[in-house]
Amino acid sequence: MRYMILIYWDETIDAQFTPEEREAQFEAYRAFTEEVRERGLMLNADALQPTPAATTVRVKGGKVLTTDGPFAETKEQLGGYYILDCKDLDQAIEIAALIPHARNGSIEIRPVLEY
Amino acid sequence: MRYMMLIYSNEAEEAKLSQEEMQAVFTAYGAFSSEVQERGVMHSGEALQPTAQAVTVRVRDGQTVPTDGPFAETKEQLGGFYILDCKDMDEAVELAAKIPGAKTGSVEIRPIMELG
Repeated sequence: MRYMILIYWDETIDAQFTPEEREAQFEAYRAFTEEVRERGLMLNADALQPTPAATTVRVKGGKVLTTDGPFAETKEQLGGYYILDCKDLDQAIEIAALIPHARNGSIEIRPVLEY
Repeated sequence: MRYMMLIYSNEAEEAKLSQEEMQAVFTAYGAFSSEVQERGVMHSGEALQPTAQAVTVRVRDGQTVPTDGPFAETKEQLGGFYILDCKDMDEAVELAAKIPGAKTGSVEIRPIMELG
């Protein structure tokens, strides 16, 4: 079954990384991606540019309103996602716990709605 | 360039929609998906099951702690997304405004960080 794994963390932490810390984080994600690929679970994944690059769009009364930034102010921001094919929710939880930001962020698991 | 369009809506309000209203939303999304496919800009898109089905996982002090529900309480909840290939942010905004959920909720556009 397909699960979307949404990775949330406080962006301001990353903004203070040294180049070595940044590289270590990339490497941790490379290793995780490799593991889920080898296990045959990997479907899709992307990293997102931080929320200062976001634009939120709403259409009210026929007018397109745009605001800079994310849809809401939250302590942690969405930084990336995976879509994985897991046996069940228990496996999704087991895998989510391996994601690097599980240790200092929040990993939200959402079952995909299959039509 | 690829942009992720994150579609947020108030699930509690949506739960009040009649069958006809829900069908109309479904049809509108079908039309939007067809349009972006025909324009050749559709990369991917999914709907998600509501946040009542969500589980959030944190690992603290080496312990895996799963909790029911989304990562945070917000007025609007993530219901789905599209990833579209757009010329620039202006085109992304133009397309995001056509997403049915933009009329009743919020569509957050996030440029994708393309990695090696």
